[in-house]
Amino acid sequence: MTKYQKQDISLTAAQQLPLPNFPKVKYASWHLDQLMPVQKAISNAHFLTAEDVGIEILGTQAGHQYLPQELINAGVLVMSIQAAKKDYPQLVQRYLSSVIPADQDRLSAQNLLQYNAGIFVYIPDNVVIQSLLQLVLVQNATTTGDAVQRILIYVGKNAQCTILQQLRTMGEATIKSSTVIEVFLDAGANVQYSAIDALSANTSGYLNRSALLADNAQLNWAQAEFNRGNMVMHLDTMLSGQGAQTHANVMAMVSQKQVQGINTRVSNRGRHTIGHILQRGVILDHAALVFNGVGNIIKGAKGADAQQESRILMLSKKARGDANPLLLIDESDVTAGHAASVGRMNAAQLYYLMSRGLCEKVARRLVIRGFMGPILAQIPHQVVRESIIEDIERQLKDAHQ
Amino acid sequence: MTTLEVKDLHVAIDNQEILKGVNLVMKTGEVHAIMGPNGTGKSTLSQVIMGHPAYRITSGEIYFDGQNLADMAVDARARAGLFLAMQYPAEIQGVTNIEFMRAAINARRPEDDPISVMDFIKKLDEKSAILSMPEEMSARYLNEGFSGGEKKRNEILQLLMIEPKIAILDEIDSGLDIDALKVVARGVNEMKSPDFGVLMITHYQRLLDYIVPDFVHVMMDGRIVKTGGPQLAKKLEAEGYAGLRDELGLDIVLTDENVDAGL
Repeated sequence: MTKYQKQDISLTAAQQLPLPNFPKVKYASWHLDQLMPVQKAISNAHFLTAEDVGIEILGTQAGHQYLPQELINAGVLVMSIQAAKKDYPQLVQRYLSSVIPADQDRLSAQNLLQYNAGIFVYIPDNVVIQSLLQLVLVQNATTTGDAVQRILIYVGKNAQCTILQQLRTMGEATIKSSTVIEVFLDAGANVQYSAIDALSANTSGYLNRSALLADNAQLNWAQAEFNRGNMVMHLDTMLSGQGAQTHANVMAMVSQKQVQGINTRVSNRGRHTIGHILQRGVILDHAALVFNGVGNIIKGAKGADAQQESRILMLSKKARGDANPLLLIDESDVTAGHAASVGRMNAAQLYYLMSRGLCEKVARRLVIRGFMGPILAQIPHQVVRESIIEDIERQLKDAHQ
Repeated sequence: MTTLEVKDLHVAIDNQEILKGVNLVMKTGEVHAIMGPNGTGKSTLSQVIMGHPAYRITSGEIYFDGQNLADMAVDARARAGLFLAMQYPAEIQGVTNIEFMRAAINARRPEDDPISVMDFIKKLDEKSAILSMPEEMSARYLNEGFSGGEKKRNEILQLLMIEPKIAILDEIDSGLDIDALKVVARGVNEMKSPDFGVLMITHYQRLLDYIVPDFVHVMMDGRIVKTGGPQLAKKLEAEGYAGLRDELGLDIVLTDENVDAGL
């Protein structure tokens, strides 16, 4: 089923593993490998309401959970990961660590050993989910205690769905966060996966979102990073089967003194696989943002295509930004390309908007949104686009522009 | 009544003088056209009046209702009643036309009294119909993926929505086929009133068949060299700019001179 061998690992062994590498980001002093996983439940759902299909986990408890009867009948499972371990232990066992090997690095291994909350999604073969499937993890920072969470998603052969996954914080306590998400797409599966990550300024964390794609599977990511604290993040897609495709779209906005490092990697393993990375980052105030884009074509992946484009917009003199494209190619019969830039506000757009009477502040906000436009345009659901625009506006209002 | 007055205006870009003493007075209720060969500073004049940051006024002034525009930022000029339909409007993905136009209208209203959604949509439908613009165009991202003709229409739609006192139309006719030109002209003519003045910048007399000017100014080498009525445009069409230059005895080399000789 998969080339990756599952392993059991002890906490002692996990501590010996190397920290994941985020080039140009120094994060050892954040001590993300020293976690005290304590999360209390919060009683009411905050982000999902009665008609929303999906699940919201608050702290460790499901606050909202709803699946229409026809999906239940079709065998779809959407539940807390603890409930899944109890009710469907074999399914969980089969897919856990199937995308991220247990001994890959210290932070993902610790997550595997210490997670105490999360979501399990199982979509059987040939099931097409029309409604937006929402997965929300709310980290409880009303008291201290770190959030260690895991999401495991299996999408069966030729199954289809659109997912909106959110990561949010309630409360202002200083906590650490470790979130690992494994997505397994079986042959011919097709998934639109939008993610909004908006953790609090007092949360520093590690986020690993990884997917494995079998033959002809297709996964379109749109990942919006609105975290206010220090974060290191992996978005990793392995195109294992032939003809598998991914578009990894990432937008990030950083402000005040925060540091974010984002590794976006696509590995073309199968023949005729297509991996495109598109990233947009906006830096305000004193913040720092590093995009490391990696296109990795493995020997034998004939006819593979690896493209990437990363652009960073710096809105203050004290901002620090870096866009590092990397192509690792071990096969000759392939196409690949990259573009990267770090620049300032588009003066022509700003002038155009102001020439219609918009004051500079409003015009700047719209130009910034325009910079994110290529990513927004990749997001299929209007509800999701609007939700992301709200987050952009909120962050811009709060920044010391 | 609103007056736009350009007084002995000299403008440079990258230390090269482009406008060499332009004088012009126009009022609401009037239709002016500026014609002239390529590279004589027509677009520069329009951008300087609007306040484009790339151009530097080296001497002279521009007054809008007696107020020196040098003291006003671009957005303040717009809110005072100036409008520039641009030759190359910017494209902004992620910002819809609707949202942009609402923001532009609300920028002219008190912060606590934005235009109601109903009023806005009603006005938008009305103005879009004048320009034969399909409804879905306003839901698209600002100018993004628009054809040349669609961009021009969208500029005129903004003009109709914003209702400025004085509008400058910079080559609004370029790249338009005759049907699209008629539609754009219909939009501009719709605005005509004692409270609205328009300054059209064009190479061709054709536009002036559809939007008839009260005054035609000819610009050459950074100056207005002749002003007349609509018949001046017809004369230019017949004799070319070189003919007028020779008649006025000006010592200017036109960018595209001798084109005929070369054929």
